[in-house]
Parts: sequence; structure tokens; C-alpha cells
Amino acid sequence: MSENNNTEMIPENVMEGIAKMNTDPNNAVNPAETLDLNPDNQGIGRMAQMRIYLGKMFRMFLFQKDWFVLPMAAIIAGLVAFAVGANLFETMEGTLMGSFALACVCVWNGFFNSIQSICRERAIVKREHRSGMHITSYIAAHMIYQAVLCLLQVIIIMVVCYLLNVRMPAKSLVTPFPMVDYGITLFLITYCADMLALFISSFSKTTTAAMTIMPFLLIIELLFSGSFFTLPSAAEPFTKLTATKWGLTALCAQGDYNSLPMVSIWNSCVQMKDIEIEGKKPVYEVLKYIEKNDMRDEFCLLTAQYNQKPEFEFSRKNMLKCWLWLVGWTAVYVLAAIIFLEFIDKDKR
Amino acid sequence: MNIPVVYFFIALLFKLFQSIGYCFIFKKCNVAWYLSFIPFVREYNVSLCADREKDGKVYTIVAGIATLIELFNHFIPENLSVLKTILLIIYVGLLITTEIYMIRVLLGLIEVFGRKKNWIWMFVFLDAVTVLIWGLSPKFVPSKVVIRVKKSVLAKEFGQNITAPEEGLLINIKKRTVVDFFRKKTLIKDIHMFIPKGHMVLLLGGSGAGKTTFVNAVTGYEKAKAKIELDSRDIYHEYKKILYKIGFVPQQDLIRGTDTVQLTLSDSADLRIPKGVSSDVKKARVKKVLDEFGLTAVKNSLVEKLSGGQRKRLSIAMEYISDPTLFVLDEPDSGLDGVVARGLFERLRKIADEGKIVIVISHTPDRVIELFDDVIVLAKDETKTGRLAWYGPVNEAYEFFGKNSMEEILLSVNQKDEGGEGKADEFVGKYTDLMKEKVG
Repeated sequence: MSENNNTEMIPENVMEGIAKMNTDPNNAVNPAETLDLNPDNQGIGRMAQMRIYLGKMFRMFLFQKDWFVLPMAAIIAGLVAFAVGANLFETMEGTLMGSFALACVCVWNGFFNSIQSICRERAIVKREHRSGMHITSYIAAHMIYQAVLCLLQVIIIMVVCYLLNVRMPAKSLVTPFPMVDYGITLFLITYCADMLALFISSFSKTTTAAMTIMPFLLIIELLFSGSFFTLPSAAEPFTKLTATKWGLTALCAQGDYNSLPMVSIWNSCVQMKDIEIEGKKPVYEVLKYIEKNDMRDEFCLLTAQYNQKPEFEFSRKNMLKCWLWLVGWTAVYVLAAIIFLEFIDKDKR
Repeated sequence: MNIPVVYFFIALLFKLFQSIGYCFIFKKCNVAWYLSFIPFVREYNVSLCADREKDGKVYTIVAGIATLIELFNHFIPENLSVLKTILLIIYVGLLITTEIYMIRVLLGLIEVFGRKKNWIWMFVFLDAVTVLIWGLSPKFVPSKVVIRVKKSVLAKEFGQNITAPEEGLLINIKKRTVVDFFRKKTLIKDIHMFIPKGHMVLLLGGSGAGKTTFVNAVTGYEKAKAKIELDSRDIYHEYKKILYKIGFVPQQDLIRGTDTVQLTLSDSADLRIPKGVSSDVKKARVKKVLDEFGLTAVKNSLVEKLSGGQRKRLSIAMEYISDPTLFVLDEPDSGLDGVVARGLFERLRKIADEGKIVIVISHTPDRVIELFDDVIVLAKDETKTGRLAWYGPVNEAYEFFGKNSMEEILLSVNQKDEGGEGKADEFVGKYTDLMKEKVG
């Protein structure tokens, strides 16, 4: 409510407050009664500060519409499951496409969770830092809060996929439970993207600046995912920078990509069946022979053998490598966020 | 002679013409003429002539980086084509940025010379010729020139530390400098004073006079070359220990809107009150402060639902919760009407009467001036450095400046281009003499 020169506009409770402030005899503080609240070496520790900020964040989850990311995750997961979920973990192509789409959903969710979380209250953070707030406590609170958010989103994605009959990986590599392995991978992708967005938010002066950088990063994440787009060999090293690359690799590895049939060559052959050479249709003849002898699956598996990708090797070592890369990048982003935010006092007034 | 060499010499010739043109423009703008022959320095000085120093700084930094990349690219082996490509992309991006910033600088130059904006096309396409015309023709005269101050006309300095006669805040600031674009800039200097406990002090000063710098230096947030003592304890040396003895309330109400008043204050108490204090004492303190600041009725409301006055009181209460000895407020009355502002200042008076030191920055102090004990007047001298023009009782300030209100005092020390009387140096000198007389 704005206040202007017209005193009639002042709300009643404000006037009551001022009146109380200035007339209440209890307000005349007797110096003898003043508590010595500031002896030396006071100030609460980092853990205590972290707990305070964590409390604030969960309250803001309710009041600041941060909860909105949860239904949004369900909607996006539903769309992706509907569009590309049919052949996930059933064929090579379906697995690659579906895993890529799932990795993108996770990156999208992670980005949206925290891209504005620091920059929208940057001035407040600066004030609190001046009053003794530790940046490490503040970032640690964000890390815990965002981890909970990411976990909830992953659970939502998995439930939505299950309800829409999207096939889940049947085998596990690290834990005894395939769903747990799958969930950990999805969580690590989301959390890695989340911490990258938190880092962007830590140095962006405004929400507009952060939201401008976000699509740019999203393009990099999608383009440099490694396996989905064919990149020149010179660009290959850059794929190591993205969460999508390691997420996609982990998902395909757990889905045992290299043991799945390949259908794209069969489909291409079917499209070319009417090609005539010297009055004959050789492709049609071959396809007819394969179908007649019930060899289609054998054909698809044979073509798949020639298109296996060593990076999608179904092994515990491969899976752990992908997870470690994701954890490593998450740690780098967190560290960078802390370092950048430590310079918040240098912000122009 | 092959074609690239011819192009090179033609480009060099144009650059020479451009430098000669700027040489004359610099003379007109009171800038050292020879700087027009040094690349990057020339463009920065053009921005000074154009009154667009900020754009000039960005241009110079970006152009410098672009040149470094260009040079570096020559030494990269051909087989590292990826690196070369990346650097080329960055180089192109930087080149576009420099062009944009140069256009901004040139538009400023056109404005200073009072010409039509269409001249920008001449600068873009016929740079050397246009600069030569502007430099050589007497018809092109700038409306303002770069001010360079001679050391002989600088305002007097007191230059010696004072001592504290009793408990309170002792301020001895020699100077506060920052390095801005390879140059040392003095923001404030030569400020010496002692504020006793129980005093409420008004901090007065025009825009850029160094009020915030002064406050930051006094509270230890931005350290100056100074000795600041609160109750005989060095704030700079013991900053972390006595951080909570100092409360600073910023001008904006920087509070999260989506939390309740009570929880906001309770979190502040948890953050600011020592860990040894029991939760019962903290709760009692929160309750007391809510009462004192008239916020009990709205304690369960969200902060974003509060009125401006309530939010301001909450912002103050958040700092007051730790019972600070030194309480600094940056324009607590901004955006508040007379009645609400008065209530707030009366509350601050009571805090001072509790034996605290309250320093308040305000641009409209006359409506509550009787509540203040002293006034600090900061003024921007000829070198744009914040100086102390007065510290003492309010009534004596009127006498010293020969004015009847704080607003008039402010006008007298403000610079002429800000609509003031431009007497800053005069009063800084007069106050320095007075100080010398008092201290001996």
C-alpha cells in the first residue's frame, strides 16, 4: 500500500502502531533492563545458519509458488512419455530418442528449479551477507532444498512414465534394484542441471539476465549431448561438459542399448521395396524371404550388432563413471556459485 | 607493391588523420592533445570529451581484449583449428561490442557539441574526415569541457587524528580510495570526529558527496585508510567480534515478502543474537521488539502485505533485534509521509536516548530536525572527493553556514551544475580552520 501526503490514506493499523510506539510507557527502555545481546565471539555457526535458511526456503516453497515446478514436471514427463515413450528400452532408436528426451526433461526441470532462486533476492543476500551471513551456509541450504525438489520431480517423472506404460529398465548395474539405478541417474542429471542454474543465478544481477542465459545453456546441453546429434570429432571433447551426455550414456547403458534390435535399417528397406533393377525387385525379394522364414528379429539384431556403441557398454564401471562425472560437475558448479557469491559485496549500490 | 600493403598504408593514413582530428578536439575539450596518438587511450579520452566515461571504459577494455585475442590467434598452430575457430567467434563478438560502445561515445560527443544526431553516419562511414572537420573548424565548440583541477586550488586539510574524550564513536578517516580504470580515485578524505553515546546524528550531503562511502567506512563494511573506534575498540581490527554491535538499515526494505513478520524477525534474532542466549530470551526479545515497533498486530501477516511504513519498521527492527550500540540508517524516511516519518524518527530518538549512537541519512530532515543532536555535512570538493564541511550541533550549523534550514545548507555546498551554490570548498576550508582552532 503506498503512502502519500494525505494522512487520511494511512491504514488504521499503521496509525495504531505509531501511536503505540510513541505513547506506550513500556517502550521507554530502562538501560538497566537492556540485555547484553552482543558479547564477543558471538554469532551462530554455519550449520545453524544453514538450518535457518532451509526453513525460509521451505516456507517460500509454499508462499512463493515454487511448488509450481512439481505439477510442471508431471506435465512435461507426460508429454515426453506420450511422444517418445513407446519404444524406450525396446529398440536402439527408441532407447536413444527416449533417453535423450528424458535427459532433456531432467535438465529442463533442474534449470527451472533454481535459475531465479538467488538473483531474485540478490539485494537481500547482500544485506544479509553484510550482517554476518555465511555464503557457504546459504548455498548449502539451497543445495539441500533443491535436492529435495529434484528428488520429488524424479519420483513424479517415474510415476507418470509408469502410469503411461513406458517400459522401465529391466536390469540394474550398481544397486540390486533397476528402478533405484534409474532413479539415481535421473536425479543426478536433474541435480547437476539445477546446480548449473544455481551458479548462473549466483552471478546474474537480475532475473532477466539469468533467464537470457538459460536458453543459451539449454541449447548447449541439447546440442552437445554426444550421441543424439552427430558432431565433428573436434567438437567431441565439449560433450564432456554437459549433463545430458553423461545422463544419456547412463540411461542407455542401463537399458543395455547394445543388446537391443535396430529397426531403422529394416524400416528403410521396407520403404525401398519397390525399387526395380532390370525388371526385378531385389529388395522386395529379400524382405519376402526374411518374413517367410520368420527372420525379421534376427535381421534387426544382426544390423544392431554392426551399430553398437562402446560408450553405452552395459557395465557397472560405465554407469559409475557417468554418475561420477555428473557428481563432479555438480561439485564444480556449487564451488563456482560460492566463489561468485562471495563477491556480492562488490555489487554496485 | 602488392594490394594488402597498399591497403595497410591507406588505413594507416586514415588513422593518422583521425588522430590529428582528435588532437584538435582534445584541445577544445581541455584534454592533453598528445593522447590522441595513443590507441585505446585516445578512445577513452574521446569518451571523457563526450561525457560518456562509463561507455569509454567498456570500449577500451573490450577493444584491448579483442586486440590480445587477435595477436594470440597469430601464434596458434594451424592444427589447433578448433581453438582458432572459438577465438574467432569471441573476437567477432567483441568487435561488435566495441562498435556499439564507440557509437554510444560518439553520440555523446555529438550531444556535447550540440549537433544533430545524423552526424553519427558521418562518423561511422567517414570517420577520419569527420573528426578532422570537427577538430579544425571553429564552428564546432563543445558545450562543456573536461575539468582538471590544479593542486594549488584544493580545499584545506585538517590532516591529524583526534582522540576520544569518553565512550562513543571515534572517527579518524584519512582517506577512502578505489582504483577505477587504472586510476586511483579518492572517494572521501580527511574526516575526523567524535560522536558521544546517546547522540542522534543527521548525515547530510548531496549526491556523490560520499555519504554511503562514509557510512560503510565507519561500520567497517568497506575499509578505508582510517581508525574507527567504538567504545575504544578498533572496528577494523575486531570487525567480526563486534559486527553485531553495529546495525545498518539500508534504504530499500530488503526483506523477503513471502514470509511472515514474526518469522522474519525471529530468523533475524536467530542470525544476530549470540548462540549462548537461550531460545526463551530470544523469543522474549522478538516479542518486545514487535511491540516496540508497533508490529504485533500484523505479526502473522506476510511481509508483502504490509504498508510502506510497517515494512520500514520491520526492516529497522531486524537490525535492532541484536541491540546494537551503533545504529546507522540510510534514508529511513524515503517514501513515507510526514506523520509516519515523524513517528519513525521519534522512535529512533528513543533508541538514542537508550545510550546508543544513531546516525541517519535523510534528504528531508527539516520536518524532524529538533530530534537530532548533531549534524554531519559532507560536501563534494573540486576534485569530486567527499569532504567534511561540518560536524556539530544543529543550531551551530545554521550559524556556521548562515542558513535557516538543512535544505538551504545542502544547497549551499552542492555544486553549481547540481543547482547548488558551489561553496563546498569554502566551507570545507572554514571548518578545517575551526577544527584547527579547537584542537590547537
